[in-house]
Amino acid sequence: MKKCLEVGMPMVRAIQIRRPGMTTAAIRALLLAAMLPAPCMSAHAINQGSSCMECHRPNHVVIDPDRYERSVHGALDCTTCHSDGVDRFPHRSHPANAPDCKDCHSGASGSIDFGKIEMEFQASIHATANPTFRCTDCHSPHYFIPASRMTDVSEAIAAVNQSCLHCHAPGGAATAATQQAEFEALVDKHSLFPHPELHLQRVTCVACHAAKGHENLHLIVPKSQAVRDCVICHAKNSMLVTKLYTHLAVKERAEHGWANAIFFNNAYLTGANRNHWLDLGSVLLALLTVIGAAAHGIGRSIFAYFRRKK
Amino acid sequence: MRKESGYPIWLRVWHWGNAVLFVTLLITGLNMHYSRLSSAPLGFRTTVFAHNTAGILLTLLYVFFLYGNLRLHNHRYYRLLREDFKPGIVRQVRYYLRGIFVGAPHPYPPAWNRKFNPLQKLSYIAVMYLLFPLLIITGWSLLFPDRLPAMLFGMPGIALWALVHTGIGFFLSLFMVVHVYLGTTGATPGQLFRLMWSGDAQSGALSNEREAAPADE
Repeated sequence: MKKCLEVGMPMVRAIQIRRPGMTTAAIRALLLAAMLPAPCMSAHAINQGSSCMECHRPNHVVIDPDRYERSVHGALDCTTCHSDGVDRFPHRSHPANAPDCKDCHSGASGSIDFGKIEMEFQASIHATANPTFRCTDCHSPHYFIPASRMTDVSEAIAAVNQSCLHCHAPGGAATAATQQAEFEALVDKHSLFPHPELHLQRVTCVACHAAKGHENLHLIVPKSQAVRDCVICHAKNSMLVTKLYTHLAVKERAEHGWANAIFFNNAYLTGANRNHWLDLGSVLLALLTVIGAAAHGIGRSIFAYFRRKK
Repeated sequence: MRKESGYPIWLRVWHWGNAVLFVTLLITGLNMHYSRLSSAPLGFRTTVFAHNTAGILLTLLYVFFLYGNLRLHNHRYYRLLREDFKPGIVRQVRYYLRGIFVGAPHPYPPAWNRKFNPLQKLSYIAVMYLLFPLLIITGWSLLFPDRLPAMLFGMPGIALWALVHTGIGFFLSLFMVVHVYLGTTGATPGQLFRLMWSGDAQSGALSNEREAAPADE
């Protein structure tokens, strides 16, 4: 059975109507709408206090209200996006009339250049292989949280990868056993890495599956062109950092020439966890040791020379 | 007749094997730490493989060293004496800072029951019985990163392990530099290296009669 993108629930679900005073016709209309194999009920946003919630109470919808409020769109009213047909009842909105993300997300904003993203996306395997591919296929409009809002690297990586795994983990992931089977299948596909399980859990898919280049997150390339060079990530200017925390990478690279500071908080990557001062201190200490030994040796030779001359 | 040099064949095999593996680990370790795009001559994957392999072999050699030390009586040279601390260390440091320049006799020349001077003995004990085990334990732990605790003392487990491993490796590398330099302080610059290679007591060491008794500077 096809699953709802948002929470993996069956599309056809009964809506319990409990609101006193609702007309029989309205109840019948809602039940009919609920039983039709219509697109999932993701249109039921849950802004507390909005008029939508008069009917669409959290228990009756397929949107997780807590997750929605934490998302990047959490402060928006439902009708900001779902404006079509809400002025009449029953609503006659159609998914095709949903607004395009580009209506709001265009131009450049901070470290994000939506024009560049659009160009990357159009050149990506996502767009070329599937012309109907939309932003929302990866970025859930109800739950998306940008990595810039997550200070925990592992959490940010898991959230980013979840978008990919929705489609690229075969099956429905209905049980722990099938989830494990899917994960093991992915491990097999990535066996060229040492510790493939760790790589899958702690590396973003786009670090390797998006084209080379630090901010090319949306230029997803075919599998045959995926990055296989370890030092793309295992380097001081790690692609894993710059493709995950683009907002930090831009600032850090401008200041230091490379970016990895976030890794010192809660992650480790050989070759990337490097600190300017520790590196500098260790080189100085090593130089001092070599120079000290050399100076001692030269001093010994000079003294020995003069002793022999006496 | 060959005199007892204190450097039997098993010890020399361990020493030079350890040297080759440690230099390999140092080069590959630096390559991993300072990895950058296309800079590693062997490639990152091969470098990691070489580092892991050399580390495993170094562990086997370390076990061999422990066995040799315990069963073949080499441990007697590592036995700490009260005089090693006072006046041993001060006298030896003073020798390196002054006596060695003016041709003073060695304060602790090698003898049948003494292969190392006090400073040498203490540093070797620290290196072989503290730092090497820590380096080996942290190194093996990093071979199984999925088994390490996620967080330890407010840091990711792997990061703390790697920091300790890299730090110890760094200080042991500095020790190696000093160790090689002090190897030139024999009767001639090459004498101690020849001794360590051939084990021939005629090369010096325990038969060295140049400096027969501890000298007070």
